[in-house]
Amino acid sequence: MKAFETFHPIVLFSFFVAAISLSMFFMHPIYLAITIFSAISLNIALRRQLFFKDWKLYVPLFFLMAIINPLISHNGQLVLLYINGNALTVEAIMYGIAIATMIVAVMLWFSCYNVVMTSDKFIYLFGKVSPALSLTLSISLRLVPRFRHQLTQIVQAQKVIGMDYTTGSLWHRIKCTMRILSILITWALDNAIDTADSMKARGYGIKKRTAFSLFFFERRDGFVLAIIILLFVSNFAASFIGTTTFYFYPTFGAVKWDIGSILFYSSYFALLSIPLAIEIKGALKWRSLKSTM
Amino acid sequence: MQKNMRLIISLIVILVLIPLTLYAGITIFADRKYYFISIVIIFLACVPFFLSFERRKPQPREIVVIAVMSAISVAGRALFIVTPGFKPVAAITAITGFSLGAEAGFLTGAISALVSNMFFGQGPWTPFQMFMWGMIGFIAGLLGKTGIMHKKIPLILFGLFAGVFFSFGMDIWGTVSMYGVFNWKAYTLALTSAVPFMIIYAVSNVIFLLLLERPIREKLERIKNKYGILQ
Amino acid sequence: MAFVKINNVSFTYPNEANPILKNINLTIQQGEFIVLIGQSGCGKSTLLRHFKRELHPHGEMTGDIFYKDCDLEQLDSEVAATDIGYVFQNPENQIVTDKVWHELAFGLESLGVDSQTIRRRVAEMANFFGIQKWFHHKTTELSGGQKQLLNLASIMVMQPKLLLLDEPTSQLDPIAALEFIQTLHRLNKELGITIILIEHRLEEILPLADRVLIMDEGSILFDGPPKEILKELPANHAMITALPAATKIFHQLSGVGPVPLTIREGQRFLSTQQVIPSHLPPSKSQNEKNIVLEAKDIAFRYEKNGLDVVHHFNLQVKEQEFLTIIGGNGTGKSTVLSILSGLQKPYRGKVFLFNKILKSYSNKQLYQQYLTLLPQNPKTLFVQKTVHQELEDMARLHKVSEKKIQETIHLFHLTHLLNRHPYDLSGGEQQKLALAKLLLMEPRILLLDEPTKGLDAHAKEELAQILKDLQAKGMTIIMVTHDIEFSAQYSNRCALFFDGNIVSEEEPRAFYSGNNFYTTAAHRISRELLSNAITCEDVVTLCKKTCV
Repeated sequence: MKAFETFHPIVLFSFFVAAISLSMFFMHPIYLAITIFSAISLNIALRRQLFFKDWKLYVPLFFLMAIINPLISHNGQLVLLYINGNALTVEAIMYGIAIATMIVAVMLWFSCYNVVMTSDKFIYLFGKVSPALSLTLSISLRLVPRFRHQLTQIVQAQKVIGMDYTTGSLWHRIKCTMRILSILITWALDNAIDTADSMKARGYGIKKRTAFSLFFFERRDGFVLAIIILLFVSNFAASFIGTTTFYFYPTFGAVKWDIGSILFYSSYFALLSIPLAIEIKGALKWRSLKSTM
Repeated sequence: MQKNMRLIISLIVILVLIPLTLYAGITIFADRKYYFISIVIIFLACVPFFLSFERRKPQPREIVVIAVMSAISVAGRALFIVTPGFKPVAAITAITGFSLGAEAGFLTGAISALVSNMFFGQGPWTPFQMFMWGMIGFIAGLLGKTGIMHKKIPLILFGLFAGVFFSFGMDIWGTVSMYGVFNWKAYTLALTSAVPFMIIYAVSNVIFLLLLERPIREKLERIKNKYGILQ
Repeated sequence: MAFVKINNVSFTYPNEANPILKNINLTIQQGEFIVLIGQSGCGKSTLLRHFKRELHPHGEMTGDIFYKDCDLEQLDSEVAATDIGYVFQNPENQIVTDKVWHELAFGLESLGVDSQTIRRRVAEMANFFGIQKWFHHKTTELSGGQKQLLNLASIMVMQPKLLLLDEPTSQLDPIAALEFIQTLHRLNKELGITIILIEHRLEEILPLADRVLIMDEGSILFDGPPKEILKELPANHAMITALPAATKIFHQLSGVGPVPLTIREGQRFLSTQQVIPSHLPPSKSQNEKNIVLEAKDIAFRYEKNGLDVVHHFNLQVKEQEFLTIIGGNGTGKSTVLSILSGLQKPYRGKVFLFNKILKSYSNKQLYQQYLTLLPQNPKTLFVQKTVHQELEDMARLHKVSEKKIQETIHLFHLTHLLNRHPYDLSGGEQQKLALAKLLLMEPRILLLDEPTKGLDAHAKEELAQILKDLQAKGMTIIMVTHDIEFSAQYSNRCALFFDGNIVSEEEPRAFYSGNNFYTTAAHRISRELLSNAITCEDVVTLCKKTCV
C-alpha cells in the first residue's frame, strides 16, 4: 500500500526540500543519527528490494568519502599517528565519517524523492511557477523515449548500408555515431514543426494559460503541510539558537542533553518521520479494512 | 502587472537572495556549509534565465525546438552507454547556443540536465549540472554572435574550455566544497580525481563539436528558412 | 447563411513560379461530411490549411475566406482556435505533452479555461472516445490508433464546429484506420460536426461521405455526391484507380444505374450482370526455382523472460519470387524481417542464405552482395541535403560507378527531384529514393517492411511497377504488409503470419479465395459467382468473358 505518494505534490515537495536541506545542514552527531535512520527506514518502506541492491553502491561510497577527509585535513588535537609528518587525528576521521553519513543520507533522500515525485508531479508544481518552461520540460520528456525508439530504427537501417556503429575502427565508429545523431536531428526538427503547429492550432499563446491537473488538495494535505512548515521553522530556530551546532575542530564539542535540546531533537525526528508514519498508518488501515471485508 | 512582478522577482533574486545566502553562509552557518550554499546559489542563479524566458512569452516553435534539442542530447546518450563521460550533451547544447543565441543555449543545457536526471535519477548534482550545461550554452550563444564559431580552431578551443569548465563545476568544486577544506592538498586530490574525466569531457566535446557543428547548424538553418522560426 | 465560403482563392508558395491553388470557389454547409481527394501535389493539403488561420502556409494568397459570414482574417482568435479543429497526418507529431490527460486538457489550458470546466469537458470526451482505460498512461505508450484518437479527442474538447483532417489514417493499420473513420462518422452523425477530410482509403470512407471534392492541379475538378463521381470524371482519370472496388468494377463493366460504393452494393450490382459462375487458372508459381533463403524452426524473443515474438517459424523463399507476408499489427512481422536479414539473432533455429548458414556471412558480404532491407521509415536512411547527394553518399560508401547512379536515377524516375531536400519529397518519392539508395548495392534479395504505408493509389502503382521490373531482372522480393489489395495484385505467393509463425501460404488466388474475412474487396464482392477472382481486373475479365 502506497500512502505517502498519494498526497498532493506540494506536500511531497515541501517535505523533500525540508528533509534534504536540513540533512545537508546538520552535522551534529544526534542529528546525523536521526537523519540516516529516517532516510534508511523510508527507503526500506518505499523501495524494498531496490534499496538492498543499492547497498553495493552506498557502502564503498561511504568508506571512500570517510577516508578522504583525514587525508586532506590535519586539524584536531587527538593525534593518532603521523604520516610523512602529517597528523592523522581522531577529529578528522570523525568529521570524515560525519560527511560520509550526510552524503549517503542525502543520496537516500533523493532516491525516495525519485520514487515519490514522479515527473508529472514536478511538472505540475513547476508549471505553477513557470508555465512555459514546464511545458518545454513536458515536451522534452515525451520526446526522449520517442527519440530512443527512432535511434534504434536508424541504427538498424544504417547497419544494413554498412554503417554499423558497434564494429570497425574507432574512427569508423565515431563517424557512424555522428551520422546516426545527424539523421535523428533532421528527423526530429522536421517533426517539431508539426508539434508547434499543433500547439498553435489549439490556441497556444492566445491567453494566459491555466494549469489543469488531476491533483486535489484535501484537508489532510493542508494538515500535513502545516506540520511540515511548523517543524521546519522549529528546526530552523534550533539551528539559529545553536542547538544543532557541533564542533569537530579543534576538538569535539559537547552533546547537550537538556530538555530544550531533547525537544529540538524530537522535533527533527518528528519532521523526518512524517512519511514513514503515513506509510505505517496506511498499511495498518488497509490491513484492518481487509480483515473486515 | 504580471511582467513587472517577474522582473521584480528576478531583481530580488540577483540583488537580494544570492548575497543574502552568501552572507548567511559566511556568518550564521559558519560551519563549512559551502556545498549547501553553492547548491542554493546555483539554483538561484538559474532563476533569472527562466524568468526572462517566461516573461518573453515564447512562441510554440521556440519552445518545441528547445525541447527537441534537449531531448536529443538526452536520448543521444543511449549511443554511448559503454563510454562513461563521453556524452554529446555539452556539444549539442553549445551548437544550439551558437545558432539560436544565449538564452536558447542556456535553456537547452539546463533542461537537458533536468530531463536527463528525470530518467536517471535526481540528486544533489542536478542543480550543478543544470547550471554548468546551461552556462556552456549561454557562453556559446554569446560567442555565436562573433560569427567565427564555425571555424575549427575556435571550436576546438571552446570544446576544451567547456570540458574544463564543466569538470571544474561538477567534480572539483563538488568535492572541495563538500569537505569544506581549502588547502593545496584538497585541490590536488580533487584535481587528480577529476583530470581523467576532464580529459574525456574535453576530448569528447572537441570531437562532437567538430563533427556535429556544421550538420546541426545547417539543419537549424533549414528549419529557420523553411518555416521562419526564431526570427 | 453559408457555413464556410471560399471566394476565388489562389495561392503561390514562395520561390515557385506557378500557383498551387487556382481560383478556388467553394461553399460548405454546416453538418456536411466532405472527402477531399486528389493526387499528391495537387494542392489538397494546402487548401485544407487555408481553412485554419493559425496554419496558413507561408506564401502569397489572393481571395477571401469567410467563416459564418465573417472574414477568417478578422475572426476573434479564440473563436478561430476553438471552432476550427485540425488533425494532422502523423499521429506522433501533434502530441505535445507526456500524459494522456494532460494532452486532452492542453487546448483548454491555452484558452485559460478554469480547472472545473476542463475536468468536466475532459471527462466527457474520455467517455465518448473510450479513453478511460488509458487516461493516466504516458502518451509514448499508446499504439498509433490510440494516438490518433487522442489527437481527435484533444481537439474535440474544444468543441469545434468544423473539423479538418489531413490523411489522419495514413499511418495506421487497417483496423485502427477503420475505427478512426467510424469515430468520425459518429461525430458527424451524432453531433452534427462539419468534417472535411483528406483521405486515400476510399473503400471505407466514400460510402460515408455526403460530398466529394476531387482536386487536380490546383483546381476543383469534381464537386458532388460520391455516387456521381463516375458521371463527371474523365473515363481514364488517375483517380479512378483509387475508387472503391465495387465502383471500379462497375466502371470497367460500363454499368448503368445507381453506382455501387460498398461491398453489398457491389454484390447486388454483380448479381444483375448475369455472370456465369466460373474461375481463373491459378497464378504462375516459381516452384521449380532454387531456394535462396530458408528459415528453420526459428524462435525469438526480445527479453530473456519475455514472451516469444516468433516461434516455430519456418519459411522457404524461392529465387526470383515475390512473397508477401501479411498479418495484424504488432504481431512481429517486422521482427521476422530483421531476423531474416540478420539484424536480430534468433535464440533457436537457423536461417540459411543460398544454402549457407546466415551467421557465416560477414556483415559486409551479407549487406553488400546478398540482401538489403527497406526500413518502414525511409527517413532513417537520409543523411544529405539533396536527393543527388544521397545517392552519391551511398556510392561513395560502396564504390559504385557513376554509370550505375545514372541508371538508378533513370529506373526510379528521380531526375526531376535531384536537387530537392529528401524531406521535401512526398511519401512515395521518399520511398523510391530510399529504395534507390539501397539498390545501388546490387543485392539479390530485397526485404521490404510495410512499403505501401501512407502511399496513395498512384504511388503504390509506381512502387509495384518498380518491384515488378526488379523481379524480372532476377531479384527475390520479400515484403511484409497489411495491404491485402497490394499483396493480392502483385505478389506470387502470400503467407499469413499469426501468433509467431506462418499459418498458411499459397499463391495469391488460392490464398485469398480460401480466406473468408481476410481477403480483398473484389473477392468479397464476387465470391458467390466467381470462386477465385481476387482483384478487380480478375472480376472484370471473368465477367467480360462469361456474360454476353
